[in-house]
Amino acid sequence: MATAKKIISDPLSDNNPITIQVLGICSALAVTVQMETAFVMACALTAVLTSSNVIISLLRNHIPSRIRMIVEVSVIASLVVIVDQVLRAYLFELSRQLSIFVGLIITNCIVMGRAEAFAIQNPPGKSFMDGLGNSLGYSVILLLVASGREILGSGTWYGLNVLPQNYLGNGLAVLAPGAFLILGVIIWVQRTVTNNFKDD
Amino acid sequence: MQKADRQLITFALTICVTCSVLLSAIAAGLKERQERQVELDRKMNVLIAFGVDTRDAETGRRISAERVEQYFSEQIREVVLDAESGREIAPEDVDLVAIREKRQLPLFKWEEDGEVQKYAFPTSGQGLWSTIYGFLALERDLATIAGITFFRHGETPGLGGEVDRSWFQEQFVGKRLLDDDGAPVRFQVVKGGVENRYPDGNEHAVDGISGATITGDGVARFVTEDFRRYNKFFETIRGS
Repeated sequence: MATAKKIISDPLSDNNPITIQVLGICSALAVTVQMETAFVMACALTAVLTSSNVIISLLRNHIPSRIRMIVEVSVIASLVVIVDQVLRAYLFELSRQLSIFVGLIITNCIVMGRAEAFAIQNPPGKSFMDGLGNSLGYSVILLLVASGREILGSGTWYGLNVLPQNYLGNGLAVLAPGAFLILGVIIWVQRTVTNNFKDD
Repeated sequence: MQKADRQLITFALTICVTCSVLLSAIAAGLKERQERQVELDRKMNVLIAFGVDTRDAETGRRISAERVEQYFSEQIREVVLDAESGREIAPEDVDLVAIREKRQLPLFKWEEDGEVQKYAFPTSGQGLWSTIYGFLALERDLATIAGITFFRHGETPGLGGEVDRSWFQEQFVGKRLLDDDGAPVRFQVVKGGVENRYPDGNEHAVDGISGATITGDGVARFVTEDFRRYNKFFETIRGS
Protein backbone atom coordinates (compact mmCIF):
# COMPACT_ATOMS: atom_id res chain seq x y z
CA MET A 1 0.00 0.00 0.00
CA ALA A 2 1.18 3.45 -0.85
CA THR A 3 2.16 5.64 2.06
CA ALA A 4 0.47 8.97 2.68
CA LYS A 5 3.52 10.85 1.53
CA LYS A 6 3.68 8.95 -1.71
CA ILE A 7 -0.03 9.48 -2.37
CA ILE A 8 0.56 13.22 -2.31
CA SER A 9 3.99 13.41 -3.93
CA ASP A 10 3.35 10.96 -6.75
CA PRO A 11 0.92 13.12 -8.73
CA LEU A 12 3.19 16.13 -8.30
CA SER A 13 5.82 14.70 -10.54
CA ASP A 14 6.08 10.99 -11.43
CA ASN A 15 2.39 10.63 -12.14
CA ASN A 16 1.36 14.22 -12.81
CA PRO A 17 -2.20 14.38 -14.19
CA ILE A 18 -1.33 16.97 -16.84
CA THR A 19 2.22 16.25 -17.96
CA ILE A 20 2.25 12.46 -17.60
CA GLN A 21 -1.40 11.44 -17.99
CA VAL A 22 -2.18 14.42 -20.26
CA LEU A 23 -5.58 15.07 -18.66
CA GLY A 24 -7.23 18.43 -18.04
CA ILE A 25 -5.48 20.01 -21.00
CA CYS A 26 -8.54 22.02 -22.09
CA SER A 27 -8.61 24.18 -18.98
CA ALA A 28 -4.80 24.24 -18.75
CA LEU A 29 -4.81 26.01 -22.12
CA ALA A 30 -7.86 28.16 -21.63
CA VAL A 31 -7.34 29.91 -18.30
CA THR A 32 -3.58 30.40 -18.26
CA VAL A 33 -3.26 33.80 -19.94
CA GLN A 34 -2.85 35.40 -16.52
CA MET A 35 -1.77 34.13 -13.14
CA GLU A 36 -4.91 35.37 -11.44
CA THR A 37 -7.38 33.29 -13.45
CA ALA A 38 -5.08 30.27 -13.33
CA PHE A 39 -4.83 30.58 -9.56
CA VAL A 40 -8.59 30.80 -9.06
CA MET A 41 -9.10 27.88 -11.42
CA ALA A 42 -6.53 25.83 -9.50
CA CYS A 43 -8.33 26.62 -6.24
CA ALA A 44 -11.70 25.71 -7.77
CA LEU A 45 -10.37 22.37 -8.99
CA THR A 46 -8.72 21.66 -5.66
CA ALA A 47 -11.99 22.30 -3.83
CA VAL A 48 -13.97 20.10 -6.20
CA LEU A 49 -11.46 17.25 -6.47
CA THR A 50 -10.69 16.86 -2.77
CA SER A 51 -14.34 17.05 -1.71
CA SER A 52 -15.57 14.77 -4.48
CA ASN A 53 -12.92 12.21 -3.54
CA VAL A 54 -13.93 12.33 0.12
CA ILE A 55 -17.68 12.14 -0.56
CA ILE A 56 -17.37 9.29 -3.04
CA SER A 57 -15.03 7.46 -0.71
CA LEU A 58 -17.56 7.80 2.13
CA LEU A 59 -20.31 6.44 -0.12
CA ARG A 60 -18.15 3.75 -1.70
CA ASN A 61 -19.66 0.82 0.20
CA HIS A 62 -23.23 1.95 -0.49
CA ILE A 63 -23.10 2.94 -4.16
CA PRO A 64 -24.76 0.23 -6.28
CA SER A 65 -22.18 -0.68 -8.90
CA ARG A 66 -24.66 -0.39 -11.78
CA ILE A 67 -25.18 3.33 -11.22
CA ARG A 68 -21.70 4.01 -9.88
CA MET A 69 -20.67 6.47 -12.57
CA ILE A 70 -23.95 8.38 -12.56
CA VAL A 71 -23.64 8.86 -8.81
CA GLU A 72 -20.06 10.06 -9.22
CA VAL A 73 -21.08 12.57 -11.86
CA SER A 74 -24.00 13.81 -9.72
CA VAL A 75 -21.67 14.44 -6.80
CA ILE A 76 -19.04 16.15 -8.97
CA ALA A 77 -21.61 18.25 -10.85
CA SER A 78 -23.21 19.44 -7.61
CA LEU A 79 -19.83 20.46 -6.21
CA VAL A 80 -18.96 22.33 -9.41
CA VAL A 81 -22.25 24.23 -9.37
CA ILE A 82 -21.61 25.23 -5.77
CA VAL A 83 -18.13 26.52 -6.61
CA ASP A 84 -19.49 28.39 -9.62
CA GLN A 85 -22.26 30.03 -7.58
CA VAL A 86 -19.82 31.07 -4.87
CA LEU A 87 -17.44 32.60 -7.43
CA ARG A 88 -20.30 34.54 -8.98
CA ALA A 89 -21.27 35.94 -5.62
CA TYR A 90 -17.81 36.80 -4.34
CA LEU A 91 -15.41 37.08 -7.31
CA PHE A 92 -17.72 38.34 -10.01
CA GLU A 93 -15.15 39.73 -12.44
CA LEU A 94 -12.95 36.65 -12.27
CA SER A 95 -15.89 34.32 -12.65
CA ARG A 96 -16.76 36.14 -15.85
CA GLN A 97 -13.21 35.73 -17.15
CA LEU A 98 -13.24 32.05 -16.29
CA SER A 99 -16.65 31.88 -17.98
CA ILE A 100 -17.54 28.31 -18.84
CA PHE A 101 -14.31 26.75 -17.65
CA VAL A 102 -15.42 26.48 -14.03
CA GLY A 103 -18.53 24.65 -15.21
CA LEU A 104 -16.37 22.43 -17.37
CA ILE A 105 -14.60 21.06 -14.29
CA ILE A 106 -17.51 18.59 -14.36
CA THR A 107 -16.04 17.05 -17.48
CA ASN A 108 -12.43 17.39 -16.35
CA CYS A 109 -11.07 13.86 -16.65
CA ILE A 110 -8.88 14.32 -13.59
CA VAL A 111 -11.88 14.58 -11.25
CA MET A 112 -13.82 11.66 -12.66
CA GLY A 113 -10.59 9.72 -13.10
CA ARG A 114 -9.58 10.00 -9.44
CA ALA A 115 -13.09 9.07 -8.31
CA GLU A 116 -13.01 5.92 -10.44
CA ALA A 117 -9.39 4.99 -9.94
CA PHE A 118 -8.94 5.81 -6.28
CA ALA A 119 -11.83 7.11 -4.18
CA ILE A 120 -14.21 4.28 -5.03
CA GLN A 121 -11.92 1.72 -3.39
CA ASN A 122 -10.02 3.63 -0.69
CA PRO A 123 -10.94 5.11 2.71
CA PRO A 124 -11.75 8.85 3.00
CA GLY A 125 -8.44 9.90 4.55
CA LYS A 126 -6.36 8.47 1.74
CA SER A 127 -8.84 9.67 -0.87
CA PHE A 128 -8.54 13.17 0.53
CA MET A 129 -4.77 13.04 0.17
CA ASP A 130 -5.03 11.59 -3.31
CA GLY A 131 -7.38 14.44 -4.27
CA LEU A 132 -5.07 16.99 -2.75
CA GLY A 133 -2.00 15.51 -4.46
CA ASN A 134 -3.62 15.48 -7.86
CA SER A 135 -5.00 19.00 -7.42
CA LEU A 136 -1.55 20.23 -6.51
CA GLY A 137 -0.07 18.43 -9.50
CA TYR A 138 -2.63 20.16 -11.72
CA SER A 139 -2.15 23.52 -10.01
CA VAL A 140 1.64 23.50 -10.28
CA ILE A 141 1.49 22.96 -14.04
CA LEU A 142 -1.29 25.50 -14.47
CA LEU A 143 0.66 28.14 -12.58
CA LEU A 144 3.87 27.35 -14.49
CA VAL A 145 2.12 27.72 -17.84
CA ALA A 146 0.41 30.91 -16.64
CA SER A 147 3.73 32.35 -15.40
CA GLY A 148 5.32 31.73 -18.78
CA ARG A 149 2.40 33.14 -20.70
CA GLU A 150 1.88 36.21 -18.55
CA ILE A 151 5.58 37.12 -18.46
CA LEU A 152 6.15 36.57 -22.17
CA GLY A 153 2.75 37.86 -23.22
CA SER A 154 2.33 40.95 -21.08
CA GLY A 155 5.62 41.42 -19.21
CA THR A 156 3.84 41.06 -15.88
CA TRP A 157 3.51 38.37 -13.21
CA TYR A 158 0.35 38.33 -11.13
CA GLY A 159 -0.27 41.86 -12.40
CA LEU A 160 3.14 43.14 -11.27
CA ASN A 161 5.61 44.46 -13.81
CA VAL A 162 8.59 42.16 -14.06
CA LEU A 163 10.01 43.18 -17.41
CA PRO A 164 11.05 46.70 -18.48
CA GLN A 165 8.13 49.04 -19.15
CA ASN A 166 8.93 49.26 -22.85
CA TYR A 167 8.46 45.48 -23.31
CA LEU A 168 5.84 45.14 -26.03
CA GLY A 169 4.42 41.75 -25.15
CA ASN A 170 4.43 38.64 -27.26
CA GLY A 171 1.06 38.09 -28.89
CA LEU A 172 1.73 34.40 -29.47
CA ALA A 173 2.03 33.72 -25.75
CA VAL A 174 -1.38 35.26 -25.12
CA LEU A 175 -3.10 33.08 -27.69
CA ALA A 176 -3.73 29.34 -27.48
CA PRO A 177 -0.64 28.29 -29.49
CA GLY A 178 1.56 29.93 -26.84
CA ALA A 179 -0.02 27.69 -24.22
CA PHE A 180 0.61 24.61 -26.37
CA LEU A 181 4.27 25.54 -26.81
CA ILE A 182 4.89 26.25 -23.14
CA LEU A 183 3.01 23.16 -22.03
CA GLY A 184 4.94 21.11 -24.56
CA VAL A 185 8.24 22.37 -23.22
CA ILE A 186 7.18 21.62 -19.64
CA ILE A 187 6.11 18.07 -20.59
CA TRP A 188 9.40 17.54 -22.43
CA VAL A 189 11.53 18.77 -19.53
CA GLN A 190 9.53 16.85 -16.97
CA ARG A 191 9.53 13.55 -18.84
CA THR A 192 13.24 13.84 -19.44
CA VAL A 193 13.89 14.49 -15.77
CA THR A 194 11.60 11.70 -14.52
CA ASN A 195 12.72 9.43 -17.32
CA ASN A 196 9.11 8.77 -18.18
CA PHE A 197 8.84 8.39 -21.94
CA LYS A 198 8.37 5.71 -24.49
CA ASP A 199 11.53 4.92 -26.37
CA ASP A 200 10.91 3.08 -29.58
CA MET B 1 -33.15 -9.24 -7.53
CA GLN B 2 -36.21 -7.23 -6.62
CA LYS B 3 -34.65 -6.17 -3.36
CA ALA B 4 -31.50 -5.04 -5.14
CA ASP B 5 -33.57 -3.00 -7.56
CA ARG B 6 -35.42 -1.35 -4.73
CA GLN B 7 -32.15 -0.47 -3.00
CA LEU B 8 -30.78 0.94 -6.21
CA ILE B 9 -33.80 3.17 -6.75
CA THR B 10 -33.79 4.31 -3.12
CA PHE B 11 -30.11 5.17 -3.35
CA ALA B 12 -30.52 7.06 -6.62
CA LEU B 13 -33.49 8.99 -5.24
CA THR B 14 -31.62 9.89 -2.07
CA ILE B 15 -28.66 11.23 -4.05
CA CYS B 16 -30.93 13.24 -6.35
CA VAL B 17 -32.96 14.76 -3.54
CA THR B 18 -29.89 15.57 -1.43
CA CYS B 19 -28.08 17.22 -4.33
CA SER B 20 -31.07 19.26 -5.45
CA VAL B 21 -31.99 20.45 -1.96
CA LEU B 22 -28.37 21.44 -1.33
CA LEU B 23 -28.04 23.28 -4.63
CA SER B 24 -31.37 25.10 -4.24
CA ALA B 25 -30.41 26.21 -0.76
CA ILE B 26 -27.05 27.52 -1.91
CA ALA B 27 -28.46 29.24 -4.98
CA ALA B 28 -31.18 30.90 -2.90
CA GLY B 29 -28.70 31.91 -0.21
CA LEU B 30 -26.28 33.55 -2.64
CA LYS B 31 -28.89 35.11 -4.92
CA GLU B 32 -29.02 38.50 -3.27
CA ARG B 33 -25.24 38.86 -3.30
CA GLN B 34 -25.02 37.80 -6.93
CA GLU B 35 -27.67 40.33 -7.92
CA ARG B 36 -25.75 43.05 -6.12
CA GLN B 37 -22.66 42.08 -8.12
CA VAL B 38 -24.57 42.24 -11.41
CA GLU B 39 -25.94 45.66 -10.48
CA LEU B 40 -22.45 46.87 -9.53
CA ASP B 41 -21.11 45.59 -12.84
CA ARG B 42 -23.86 47.47 -14.68
CA LYS B 43 -22.99 50.70 -12.89
CA MET B 44 -19.29 50.10 -13.44
CA ASN B 45 -19.95 49.87 -17.16
CA VAL B 46 -21.91 53.12 -17.20
CA LEU B 47 -18.79 54.70 -15.68
CA ILE B 48 -16.58 53.08 -18.32
CA ALA B 49 -18.82 54.45 -21.08
CA PHE B 50 -18.51 57.90 -19.52
CA GLY B 51 -14.74 57.51 -19.75
CA VAL B 52 -14.09 57.16 -16.01
CA ASP B 53 -10.95 55.19 -15.25
CA THR B 54 -12.42 52.32 -13.24
CA ARG B 55 -9.07 50.75 -12.49
CA ASP B 56 -6.77 51.93 -9.79
CA ALA B 57 -3.65 53.20 -11.55
CA GLU B 58 -1.29 51.55 -9.06
CA THR B 59 -2.81 48.19 -8.33
CA GLY B 60 -4.80 47.65 -11.53
CA ARG B 61 -7.76 46.54 -9.40
CA ARG B 62 -11.27 47.73 -9.97
CA ILE B 63 -12.42 50.69 -7.94
CA SER B 64 -14.49 49.88 -4.88
CA ALA B 65 -18.27 49.55 -4.76
CA GLU B 66 -18.40 52.61 -2.49
CA ARG B 67 -16.52 54.68 -5.05
CA VAL B 68 -18.97 53.59 -7.77
CA GLU B 69 -21.93 54.56 -5.59
CA GLN B 70 -20.23 57.88 -4.87
CA TYR B 71 -19.99 58.64 -8.61
CA PHE B 72 -23.64 57.72 -8.99
CA SER B 73 -24.80 59.93 -6.14
CA GLU B 74 -22.56 62.90 -6.93
CA GLN B 75 -22.26 63.12 -10.69
CA ILE B 76 -24.74 60.84 -12.37
CA ARG B 77 -28.45 61.38 -12.58
CA GLU B 78 -30.62 58.61 -13.95
CA VAL B 79 -33.91 59.39 -15.66
CA VAL B 80 -36.29 57.29 -17.72
CA LEU B 81 -37.83 58.57 -20.95
CA ASP B 82 -41.01 57.59 -22.68
CA ALA B 83 -40.06 56.27 -26.13
CA GLU B 84 -43.28 57.51 -27.71
CA SER B 85 -43.19 61.13 -26.59
CA GLY B 86 -39.50 61.51 -25.76
CA ARG B 87 -40.37 63.01 -22.37
CA GLU B 88 -39.05 62.14 -18.94
CA ILE B 89 -41.47 60.05 -16.94
CA ALA B 90 -42.14 60.08 -13.22
CA PRO B 91 -40.20 57.51 -11.15
CA GLU B 92 -43.42 55.77 -10.06
CA ASP B 93 -44.36 55.03 -13.70
CA VAL B 94 -41.08 53.27 -14.50
CA ASP B 95 -41.78 49.71 -15.59
CA LEU B 96 -38.98 47.15 -15.98
CA VAL B 97 -40.87 45.22 -18.65
CA ALA B 98 -41.35 48.39 -20.67
CA ILE B 99 -37.61 49.09 -20.33
CA ARG B 100 -36.78 45.65 -21.62
CA GLU B 101 -39.10 46.16 -24.58
CA LYS B 102 -37.54 49.59 -25.13
CA ARG B 103 -40.84 51.42 -24.69
CA GLN B 104 -39.24 53.19 -21.77
CA LEU B 105 -35.66 54.39 -22.14
CA PRO B 106 -33.22 54.85 -19.23
CA LEU B 107 -30.80 57.74 -19.62
CA PHE B 108 -27.80 58.65 -17.49
CA LYS B 109 -26.64 62.24 -17.25
CA TRP B 110 -23.10 63.12 -16.21
CA GLU B 111 -23.21 66.41 -14.37
CA GLU B 112 -20.41 68.76 -13.46
CA ASP B 113 -21.21 71.93 -11.49
CA GLY B 114 -24.92 71.45 -12.15
CA GLU B 115 -24.50 71.23 -15.90
CA VAL B 116 -24.93 68.09 -17.96
CA GLN B 117 -21.66 67.30 -19.76
CA LYS B 118 -22.37 63.85 -21.17
CA TYR B 119 -25.25 61.47 -21.69
CA ALA B 120 -25.23 57.68 -21.67
CA PHE B 121 -27.83 55.06 -22.44
CA PRO B 122 -27.99 51.27 -22.58
CA THR B 123 -27.79 49.72 -26.00
CA SER B 124 -28.36 46.08 -26.84
CA GLY B 125 -29.25 43.76 -29.68
CA GLN B 126 -28.53 40.55 -31.46
CA GLY B 127 -25.00 39.60 -32.46
CA LEU B 128 -24.45 36.19 -34.01
CA TRP B 129 -25.20 33.83 -31.13
CA SER B 130 -26.45 36.07 -28.39
CA THR B 131 -27.79 39.40 -27.28
CA ILE B 132 -24.97 41.89 -26.73
CA TYR B 133 -25.46 44.42 -23.93
CA GLY B 134 -23.61 47.68 -23.60
CA PHE B 135 -23.71 51.38 -22.82
CA LEU B 136 -23.13 54.25 -25.20
CA ALA B 137 -22.08 57.70 -23.97
CA LEU B 138 -22.45 60.88 -26.00
CA GLU B 139 -20.73 64.23 -25.69
CA ARG B 140 -22.68 67.39 -24.95
CA ASP B 141 -23.54 67.89 -28.64
CA LEU B 142 -25.55 64.63 -28.46
CA ALA B 143 -23.98 63.40 -31.68
CA THR B 144 -20.34 62.58 -30.92
CA ILE B 145 -19.60 59.30 -29.16
CA ALA B 146 -17.76 59.81 -25.88
CA GLY B 147 -17.39 56.13 -25.10
CA ILE B 148 -18.94 52.74 -25.56
CA THR B 149 -18.76 49.49 -23.67
CA PHE B 150 -20.07 46.03 -24.39
CA PHE B 151 -20.02 43.97 -21.25
CA ARG B 152 -22.36 41.05 -21.61
CA HIS B 153 -22.57 38.74 -24.58
CA GLY B 154 -22.23 35.12 -25.64
CA GLU B 155 -20.23 35.62 -28.83
CA THR B 156 -17.33 33.34 -29.81
CA PRO B 157 -14.21 34.18 -27.79
CA GLY B 158 -11.49 35.52 -30.09
CA LEU B 159 -13.97 36.34 -32.88
CA GLY B 160 -17.23 38.12 -32.05
CA GLY B 161 -16.19 38.06 -28.41
CA GLU B 162 -13.64 40.77 -29.26
CA VAL B 163 -16.46 43.34 -28.90
CA ASP B 164 -15.64 43.47 -25.21
CA ARG B 165 -11.99 44.38 -25.92
CA SER B 166 -10.70 47.90 -25.64
CA TRP B 167 -9.22 48.05 -29.17
CA PHE B 168 -12.69 47.61 -30.62
CA GLN B 169 -14.48 49.93 -28.22
CA GLU B 170 -11.89 52.72 -28.35
CA GLN B 171 -12.48 53.17 -32.08
CA PHE B 172 -15.98 54.50 -31.40
CA VAL B 173 -14.73 57.51 -29.43
CA GLY B 174 -15.08 60.68 -31.50
CA LYS B 175 -17.27 59.09 -34.17
CA ARG B 176 -20.55 60.84 -34.95
CA LEU B 177 -24.11 59.53 -35.07
CA LEU B 178 -25.53 62.57 -36.90
CA ASP B 179 -24.65 63.66 -40.43
CA ASP B 180 -23.82 67.25 -41.40
CA ASP B 181 -27.52 68.06 -41.83
CA GLY B 182 -28.28 66.83 -38.31
CA ALA B 183 -30.06 63.64 -39.38
CA PRO B 184 -29.25 60.29 -37.69
CA VAL B 185 -26.85 58.22 -39.79
CA ARG B 186 -26.74 54.50 -40.36
CA PHE B 187 -23.64 53.66 -38.36
CA GLN B 188 -21.29 51.11 -39.91
CA VAL B 189 -18.93 48.44 -38.65
CA VAL B 190 -16.86 47.89 -41.76
CA LYS B 191 -15.63 44.48 -42.82
CA GLY B 192 -12.03 44.74 -43.99
CA GLY B 193 -11.48 48.08 -42.26
CA VAL B 194 -12.67 51.64 -42.72
CA GLU B 195 -9.47 52.72 -44.49
CA ASN B 196 -9.93 50.26 -47.33
CA ARG B 197 -13.50 51.19 -48.09
CA TYR B 198 -13.26 54.91 -47.34
CA PRO B 199 -9.73 56.10 -48.13
CA ASP B 200 -10.67 59.62 -46.99
CA GLY B 201 -11.92 58.34 -43.65
CA ASN B 202 -15.46 58.10 -42.40
CA GLU B 203 -16.65 59.57 -39.14
CA HIS B 204 -19.67 57.27 -39.05
CA ALA B 205 -17.81 53.95 -39.23
CA VAL B 206 -15.37 51.76 -37.30
CA ASP B 207 -13.27 48.73 -38.27
CA GLY B 208 -14.96 45.38 -38.01
CA ILE B 209 -13.55 42.24 -36.40
CA SER B 210 -11.99 39.61 -38.67
CA GLY B 211 -14.15 36.53 -38.70
CA ALA B 212 -17.06 38.25 -36.99
CA THR B 213 -18.96 40.03 -39.77
CA ILE B 214 -22.40 39.18 -38.41
CA THR B 215 -21.52 40.31 -34.90
CA GLY B 216 -20.24 43.60 -36.35
CA ASP B 217 -23.34 44.10 -38.47
CA GLY B 218 -25.45 43.44 -35.38
CA VAL B 219 -23.55 46.04 -33.35
CA ALA B 220 -23.88 48.63 -36.13
CA ARG B 221 -27.61 47.94 -36.42
CA PHE B 222 -28.54 48.13 -32.77
CA VAL B 223 -26.35 51.16 -32.06
CA THR B 224 -28.08 52.96 -34.95
CA GLU B 225 -31.55 51.86 -33.85
CA ASP B 226 -31.08 52.68 -30.18
CA PHE B 227 -29.69 56.12 -31.01
CA ARG B 228 -32.78 56.85 -33.10
CA ARG B 229 -35.00 55.87 -30.17
CA TYR B 230 -33.33 58.47 -27.96
CA ASN B 231 -32.95 61.07 -30.66
CA LYS B 232 -36.54 62.30 -30.17
CA PHE B 233 -35.56 63.40 -26.68
CA PHE B 234 -32.15 64.66 -27.78
CA GLU B 235 -33.79 66.94 -30.37
CA THR B 236 -35.75 68.70 -27.65
CA ILE B 237 -32.49 69.37 -25.79
CA ARG B 238 -30.63 70.53 -28.89
CA GLY B 239 -33.55 72.83 -29.71
CA SER B 240 -33.54 74.52 -26.34
